[in-house]
Amino acid sequence: MENKQTIATGAKPWLDQSEAPFIRISDLTKKFGEFTAVDNVSLEIYRGELFCLLGGSGCGKSTLLRMLAGLETPTSGRIEIDGQDVANVPAFGRPTNMMFQSYALFPHMSVEKNVAYGLKRDGIAKPEIADRVAEMLKLVQLDGFARRKPDQLSGGQRQRVALARSLIKRPKLLLLDEPLGALDKKLREETQFELINIQESLGVTFIVVTHDQEEAMTLSSRIGVMDEGRIVQVGEPREIYEFPHSRFVADFIGSVNILEGRVSEDAQDYVRIRCEEADCNIHVSHGVSCSENQKLWFALRPEKISLTRQRPEGDFNVIKGVVDEIAYLGNLSVYRVALENGKILRVTKSNLDRHSDDAITWNETVHLSWDDNSGVILVQ
Amino acid sequence: MKRQSWFLTIASTLGFVFLYVPIVSLIIFSFNKSKLVTVWAGFSTKWYGKLFSDPQIMGAAWISLKIAFISASLALVLGTLAALSLARFRRFRGKTLLSAMISAPLVMPDVIIGLSLLLLFVAMENVFGWPAGRGLTTIIIAHTTFCMAYVAVVVQSRLITMDASLEEAACDLGARPVRVFLDVTLPVISPALVSGWLLSFTLSLDDLVIASFVSGPGASTLPMVIFSKVRLGVSPDINALATIIIVTVAIGVAIAASRLKPRKGG
Amino acid sequence: MSMRANLLRLAGLLKALGFRGRSIVIGVPLWWLVLFFLIPFLVVAKISFSEAIIARPPYSSLIEWSGDGVMLIKLEFSNYAYLLEDSLYVSAFLSSLKIAFFSTVIVLLVAYPMAYRIARASEGARNILLMLVILPFWTSFLLRVYAWIGLLKTKGIVNNLLMSLGITSEPIVMMQTNFAVYLGIVYTYLPFMVLPLFTTLVKLDSSILEASSDLGARPMTTFFKITLPLSVPGIVAGSMLVFIPVIGEFVIPALLGGPDTLMIGKVLWNEFFSNRDWPVASAVAMVLLVLLVIPIMLLRNAQTASSEASS
Repeated sequence: MENKQTIATGAKPWLDQSEAPFIRISDLTKKFGEFTAVDNVSLEIYRGELFCLLGGSGCGKSTLLRMLAGLETPTSGRIEIDGQDVANVPAFGRPTNMMFQSYALFPHMSVEKNVAYGLKRDGIAKPEIADRVAEMLKLVQLDGFARRKPDQLSGGQRQRVALARSLIKRPKLLLLDEPLGALDKKLREETQFELINIQESLGVTFIVVTHDQEEAMTLSSRIGVMDEGRIVQVGEPREIYEFPHSRFVADFIGSVNILEGRVSEDAQDYVRIRCEEADCNIHVSHGVSCSENQKLWFALRPEKISLTRQRPEGDFNVIKGVVDEIAYLGNLSVYRVALENGKILRVTKSNLDRHSDDAITWNETVHLSWDDNSGVILVQ
Repeated sequence: MKRQSWFLTIASTLGFVFLYVPIVSLIIFSFNKSKLVTVWAGFSTKWYGKLFSDPQIMGAAWISLKIAFISASLALVLGTLAALSLARFRRFRGKTLLSAMISAPLVMPDVIIGLSLLLLFVAMENVFGWPAGRGLTTIIIAHTTFCMAYVAVVVQSRLITMDASLEEAACDLGARPVRVFLDVTLPVISPALVSGWLLSFTLSLDDLVIASFVSGPGASTLPMVIFSKVRLGVSPDINALATIIIVTVAIGVAIAASRLKPRKGG
Repeated sequence: MSMRANLLRLAGLLKALGFRGRSIVIGVPLWWLVLFFLIPFLVVAKISFSEAIIARPPYSSLIEWSGDGVMLIKLEFSNYAYLLEDSLYVSAFLSSLKIAFFSTVIVLLVAYPMAYRIARASEGARNILLMLVILPFWTSFLLRVYAWIGLLKTKGIVNNLLMSLGITSEPIVMMQTNFAVYLGIVYTYLPFMVLPLFTTLVKLDSSILEASSDLGARPMTTFFKITLPLSVPGIVAGSMLVFIPVIGEFVIPALLGGPDTLMIGKVLWNEFFSNRDWPVASAVAMVLLVLLVIPIMLLRNAQTASSEASS
């Protein structure tokens, strides 16, 4: 799924040295008593990005978001939004708006009043408020629902009201806390694209917190993966997927096979690894800064592996195993292949052929093979 | 569990009957021609007439209503402030103290509250000259003090169950703390405020012991008058009074129930 | 609208005076309670150490100044000694505890089936039944106790009924007995037990009970092994809401009890109003307070435990 660039020119400002970040977070820490929720986080986010903070529960992503919104005060560190240090600015004074996980629609106010609330606080004239509210409701496809109360709306409709309410003030930064979490799968997919469209047309910088990696991959210009209060990797979706920096990231996004081994040969433009647990030799066609006999891990995505009955040529990047389980998912099949020592490797294969007469089946002995540049070496 | 055991149904029905027999007997005998509870001498509303023409009872009723109204309103404000502090402010000096003091009156026997407040008022009068003598003011202070505990419980529980992100959303949209309270918190907790006020009103109206301790000459509350009358035995005009109160409460409860019903799904 | 504007102006003014919003919100109820709830107990403590004298107010001062400016603090422990010596007080305390304990048990037994039945009822019936339980609670406590006088009198309704039905030939003496007091307590405190029990029982997931019977348990077993243990928080809450106030109850023993119904609330009242002995009344109050501290702390622990569990 090609991810659209959310920035108008299609440029990648994080690669441009001269571009100043829109949001700069420096050494931000938040402690609740003894517990450190956010641990010394530094991050730079550029204008117009749709940035996702991705992580499991308890990793600190929501706390980080709330500190950006002004709903939590940092224990230490700085936050700069568009050059302005917002450390001492309370939530009601910040150029940010937030879309809450529970939507937080005011139950005693109509849709209209909910959406207009932020503008009223700014003291904007009534006619202008009415115009902007109508415009906003049209954008989220809720015109005609203005008079309804939140308890008369469906989940998806409430979500759109929340979005409208948070965008109407044209904030510099919009913070979204698990915006699609409460929606069912089909609705979620549709809403994901709507969200991207709205973000592009308004040009607002979005920071989205989510635990759903598919969502993060679909929505974002860049992803920041978090674990235990720290950012473990920041990058574009493709980077995170194909070039993870650690086993944690490799495992968190998509599925992956991780083989443990020792460096057997270390040259300038290639590295060879001996993997005892799979009884195989791995050849990687680029240099890695490591030393002889160093222990490291090799990450291989399931779709990068070929499954054949015949043993392919060559001494490297081949493993023998027995097919243990096959899951047929329609568009692809997932094979669980058991190695001699019991370790299971995962291989996925697109079902290109409609007829399955000669397909590989259970308990067959097979050979797994991959290219020299298919996998990633991980040192942590 | 759709199948209900017969034991359960009988036991609970007996319980409900037990709850209502005295109330029903009060009502029935308020219409008895004879003064005696023993014999039914025929239907009569004369006791109601006697009730309304009794200046002592009517005067005391008026005083009690005044006290209840003022105490309930004061208790509402104070109790809500306490509830806000305990539910919304994470840490502050005196939190444990406030929390303990706001829940203690709920279980403290009336005699202790009454005695302690009276002794305080006497000591204060000695030292400061205020309150000068005991009467409406002291009763109102006393009632406000124990009623605010009930208000606090009711409001606090509503504050805790409401979605706290509502207030955060208002703040995020540009509302300052007082605005957040007026625009969001207050409307959302308003049912709790109403029930807190009604609860305080009822408790104040019904209080005998505390009022007896802290009251003074010329400030007899309705319960005090009733108590002195019934100590001497059954008095049918009291039955009439009871019937009026019961009917009023029943109507009130019925109104409240009908207004709550059309809520979708709860 | 102008009410809001006024409030906002007031808020601005106070802020200018240096009162931060938070400290007012906390401070007003806090200081009110310190003044009108906490300090009174200190005053009671002080007076419990003083001597009853014929004066206004009828107690001696603790602090005396001797001729040469030396402050003497006179603590009269005689009041407390008196409490211990005179068997009336000790008996009254013990009797109050006994009555409170047994009436709590009885209330629990009567309330449990009611609460259970309401919890198992359908949504519509449930609201009506709850309304029926709450209705007496909102009517005057005093009047409901009074109702029992008419019922229990020697020539009262119950006796008349029994005699006219031929069940008894002589009226049964029920008024001014401990029996009447128990009846009165159970009657008036019933809603206080039904409601917490109901709150706990209604949260019981019926699928747990279905699972139990699916696994082979008979209804009685399910009740004792599953329902009952899970309803313990409600039982504890309700029991404390009955037990603690009943210890110091005055109205019920005064109206329905006899001269041999010893309850500490009545004793305190008499000490104060009849004997006009403020110091002794204060001492009684202090002892009662001390007696109650432990059950009150139990209640608070149970409350915080249940609120933590549900959050």
